[in-house]
Amino acid sequence: MADIRENDIASGSASRDEDGSASVSRLAWISSGLGLLLFLGSVGVLGYEGITRGNGPPVITATVEAVVPAGPRWLAHIQVTNDGGKTGAKVQVEGQLMAGDEALETSVAEFDYVPAGSEQKGGLFFDRDPRAHDVRLRVLGYIEP
Amino acid sequence: MDITRQRSFLHDEAQFARALARAAAGAIIFALPLLMTMEMWELGFYMDRFRLALFILVTLPVLFGLSYFAGFEETFCWQDDLIDALSAFAVGFLMSAALLTVFAIVRLDQPLPEIIGKIALQSVPASIGAMLARKQLGQQDDADRERRIRSSYPGELFLMGAGALFVGFNVAPTEEMILISYKMSPWHAVALAVLSLGLLHIFVYTVGFAGQESAGDDGFVSVFLRFSVAGYGIALLISLYLLWTFERIAGLSMMELVTATVVLGFPSALGAATARLIV
Repeated sequence: MADIRENDIASGSASRDEDGSASVSRLAWISSGLGLLLFLGSVGVLGYEGITRGNGPPVITATVEAVVPAGPRWLAHIQVTNDGGKTGAKVQVEGQLMAGDEALETSVAEFDYVPAGSEQKGGLFFDRDPRAHDVRLRVLGYIEP
Repeated sequence: MDITRQRSFLHDEAQFARALARAAAGAIIFALPLLMTMEMWELGFYMDRFRLALFILVTLPVLFGLSYFAGFEETFCWQDDLIDALSAFAVGFLMSAALLTVFAIVRLDQPLPEIIGKIALQSVPASIGAMLARKQLGQQDDADRERRIRSSYPGELFLMGAGALFVGFNVAPTEEMILISYKMSPWHAVALAVLSLGLLHIFVYTVGFAGQESAGDDGFVSVFLRFSVAGYGIALLISLYLLWTFERIAGLSMMELVTATVVLGFPSALGAATARLIV
């Protein structure tokens, strides 16, 4: 391939090499080079990801990012993170406002997918201000996609 | 058609730029149904990385073969077909990336493997579309040469396989493939298999589409076995491969597995039968 490229540049775009095949235009080289780069790059990234990701179950945690007023109610922005090896589907997250051991309020959100190694965002609505209470977030479960 | 035109295609800047633009149009048109399919985005990030990587790897020889059979070059020069195949992949990848970004399916704050996965999966149909567009939307090819290649038996089988892959892929990612197979009884599956095989044979040899094969002097049984049955076999194998790639067959019983393969084998068989129209 390399000597063909040199041949191309050396002899110009209209000439033929000894085998009788025409040299290839620069644009063709650029587009096919880009294609090779994208091809090897995506296979490489996917292969690397496949080797390093591991095959363990989803390990999903949820955290409250911020609490903002939402009309007459309150909205707690939450983020779920999956540090496991597999994607969880239909991931249910339950948030409770606690007063001691007693749950004052419970809200639930469901994430369609939490891919392995990535984060998803959502929100839980409460009638009371979550900042005034302990917020307990629990990831309830998932199904395999 | 003279050699000069065939050659000038790859070797003239302006011609090649036009061909790239046509390829981009083809990538969008042929990949649009899948670009706007929810399951494709989800598969892009959750499907097994090795199966996805293998799928991308398989795409390149398919593009290479399509380039060969679609007939750009007067003589089989593998470098030129490789350039064609890689260019089509580049066009397919970039078109997928652009459209998925516009649809907000791909965002820059997502992890890189997720972004790559979504785009790479879409780039398979998009790059095949890019390759087909040169044929479908471009100039007419050298008919004599095509007939020559297509009359070779391995060439026929490859074309049927490519058609099966392309049409089968358009429905394989959807949940419906498995859902339909759950609803079907074994007798429904048998009926569908017979229907697929019959339609494949009829589409290729009877109804008179452009590019239809003539059965020639060979007897019905010979043609039926060598082309229709072989084509349906290829369609089933490709269906099974697609179902495996998209992780649709994990945990299925043998009966369910066969039924799901037959269900996907229906569009794949029609793809194999009409490969001459689209390829």
